[in-house]
Amino acid sequence: MGRLVLHRVAAIVPVLLLVTAGVFALLHLTPGDPIDAMMAESVDAEAKASLRQELGLDRPIHVQYATWMGRLLRGDLGHSIRNGEPVIENVTRRIRPSLELASLAMAVSLLVAFPVGIVSAIRRNTALDRAATSFALFGICMPNFLLALLLIFLFGVTLRWLPISGYTDPVEEPVAGLRSLVLPAVTLGLALAAVITRTLRSSMLEALAEDYVRTARAKGLSEWRVIRGHVLKNALIPVVTVLGLQLGTLIGGAVITEYVFALPGVGRLVVDAVFARDYPLVQGVILLIALGFILSNLLVDLLYGWIDPRIRYR
Amino acid sequence: MERMAVSRRTFLRLCAVAGLAPGPADGADAPKTGGTLRVGFYIEAATMDPHLSGSKVDRQIYHNIYEPLVTLDTKLGIRPGLAESWQQPDSRTLIFNLRQGVKFHDGTDFNAEAARFNFNRMKTEPKSVRKGEVANIESVDVVDPHTIRINLKKPDAALLATLTDRAGMMISPKVVQDRGAELQRNAKGAGTGPFEFVEWIRDDHLLIKRNENYWNKQGGPYLDRVRYRPIPDDTVKLQSLQAGEIDVMDYVQPRDVAAVKADRNVVVVDVPSLADFAYQLNHMRPPFNVKALRQAVAYGLDLEQIVRGVWLNVGVPANGPVPPTSWAYDRTIPPIKRDLARAKAKLAEGGQPSGFAFTLTTNNIPINIQESEVIQAQLREAGITMKIKLVDSATLLSDGNSRNFDMISYQWSGRPDPDGNTYQFFKTTPGTSLNWSGISNPQIDTLLDRTREVANQAERKRLFGELTKILQEELPMIFIIHPVEPKAFSPRVQGYEPIPDGMMRFKNVWLR
Repeated sequence: MGRLVLHRVAAIVPVLLLVTAGVFALLHLTPGDPIDAMMAESVDAEAKASLRQELGLDRPIHVQYATWMGRLLRGDLGHSIRNGEPVIENVTRRIRPSLELASLAMAVSLLVAFPVGIVSAIRRNTALDRAATSFALFGICMPNFLLALLLIFLFGVTLRWLPISGYTDPVEEPVAGLRSLVLPAVTLGLALAAVITRTLRSSMLEALAEDYVRTARAKGLSEWRVIRGHVLKNALIPVVTVLGLQLGTLIGGAVITEYVFALPGVGRLVVDAVFARDYPLVQGVILLIALGFILSNLLVDLLYGWIDPRIRYR
Repeated sequence: MERMAVSRRTFLRLCAVAGLAPGPADGADAPKTGGTLRVGFYIEAATMDPHLSGSKVDRQIYHNIYEPLVTLDTKLGIRPGLAESWQQPDSRTLIFNLRQGVKFHDGTDFNAEAARFNFNRMKTEPKSVRKGEVANIESVDVVDPHTIRINLKKPDAALLATLTDRAGMMISPKVVQDRGAELQRNAKGAGTGPFEFVEWIRDDHLLIKRNENYWNKQGGPYLDRVRYRPIPDDTVKLQSLQAGEIDVMDYVQPRDVAAVKADRNVVVVDVPSLADFAYQLNHMRPPFNVKALRQAVAYGLDLEQIVRGVWLNVGVPANGPVPPTSWAYDRTIPPIKRDLARAKAKLAEGGQPSGFAFTLTTNNIPINIQESEVIQAQLREAGITMKIKLVDSATLLSDGNSRNFDMISYQWSGRPDPDGNTYQFFKTTPGTSLNWSGISNPQIDTLLDRTREVANQAERKRLFGELTKILQEELPMIFIIHPVEPKAFSPRVQGYEPIPDGMMRFKNVWLR
């Protein structure tokens, strides 16, 4: 196990190098310029040139990359071009809402997906199963923004149970904070629940057909113990894989949900930064998102061993 | 749809009566002090430093915290602001008599030294976005503690109007010196306006509070606080207003105007704007280096149909860069009318009798996409093939600045003096400018210079009329629409005065 972790950590370095170089090249190949974007109304070429020089944007791209890398090695992600704040400050401010949203969405999805997935596998080909499968299909097909707007219309505008948009920090104001995250978490969670339901159902069906399940039943175990102890545990591996991949996506890629609900998350930060061609900010955020992905995958790999003792890492 | 149609005549009438507009609702009651006004904007502010700001949403906030030397009234007339009065002894000198007893929110005095400090900063600060606006100012002299003399490099009749916005806004020199770059995020104590900066929690809200020591004792400020929030999605912003989560939204999309006007819980104020939405044509390369081909496109377009079908009549067809809100608007000049026979004749004249193809570069946003599709269909009937290239704003700016386009969208928010809608777009300028079309026409250059030299408004109006006619002939731009900027309020909001620059000044606003 220790060696696995060491191996994985060592593998992070080349992956991050590739990601940063790729993002850097892509950003600079994209038409548009941060100074033009920032000083759109100004016709003062001299001012633009001096600002470009001050920010080092007039230097060759490989020099800019090397400078950025050098700073990164000293633990400095640089400053945002648009608002002048350190990149790390921008990210730390945005990561909390993203993490809270991702955890809540994950909780919503598990709360929905486990009962639905289990029931539809046990009651295969019944009306219950068909209803569950339809729900899953609906969840996968329903575009995020549409579901978000429908939820807002129902719970925010018509019933007025929940706030429509904006973010309140749940640490400072637990009730208001949770209320502000309910609709976005349900929006994201339902789509994820649909994916997990389907995955869980199919892997459970596979496990249900195994010999050891027949043996367990023959031993006279109750159906619930068979499901919990033998079927579910064996069916969890693919579900954990999906969850691991989705966690990364939820943190960095919930752009549309964050946009619609005016949540200050990482997804919106990176998209706004791309639109403003705020190179250091995009670089810094992508780097951290990539790191998040790698770590969540490492966590998944470690979980495999815990769920299924047959999996041993050498 | 009928209910919301704004005809050209209505629009002009709207502009004429804007000064009498009662605000969102009938302000029969006496104003009440207190309450927090919650404002929803589409985007967050970029900076709290007016000298470094290039974003419209910043101005919305500044006009409540900072004050310019002179201000605009609802008919775009220039009124005293931090300057009580001004004289122009000759065309290159402007003397401002500054208001006495005005203090910045940090307690320091506003005086002639402070004003000079601000102008010098705008001219010399490396990141200053105001340099272009104050480029004509040679120097600023302190005559006495409450008088400054601005010496100009050449006559500039448009300068006063320029000083009604960020270029005329005064920041506390002490705050600038003490706080440095942090002023961008924290404007505590920096202004003299009716409201003081309290806090800006990035990505969440920006809060200002009433300035209890405000120098102007007439009217407000009545509100305790104003809280600005970014809500990027238009639909959600509107729903937030309908559900009572916010009291004001800065802009209602044309597609929503009819529905919102039918809602009794929302009051819509149509604010005629200074804007002109247009397309720049690249004169520096084929096909639009040929005048006849530019004209063929102009005659192929049906502006009425675009304004009706795409903009749902939330605006009027444009005859040129000067909007109907301006004193310089010449209503005797009609917008270019569609004439397919003439378009075909122009194609032949331009050496392309069977038509030609070009690419339109435009922003990847719904209303621009719709407009370009309508234009594409209209031009097809004239035998012209138009390809559409959708880009984000940064690419649009870079394509424009590098003249990498055939025809490109340009949506200008407008300036109070017509100079701001014309000079930088049509004057021959080497290097970077907003003259993306590359037009260089001695007659236009002379006219533009004249409009700055002449002080008489009637004469300036005549010159801008003449300019508009030449622009319709030379076509550096094809002008589409002068949009209306509908703003929506909760019925509780009283006393809002719509000024055509679209800025929401809350000094006299109160909550019922």
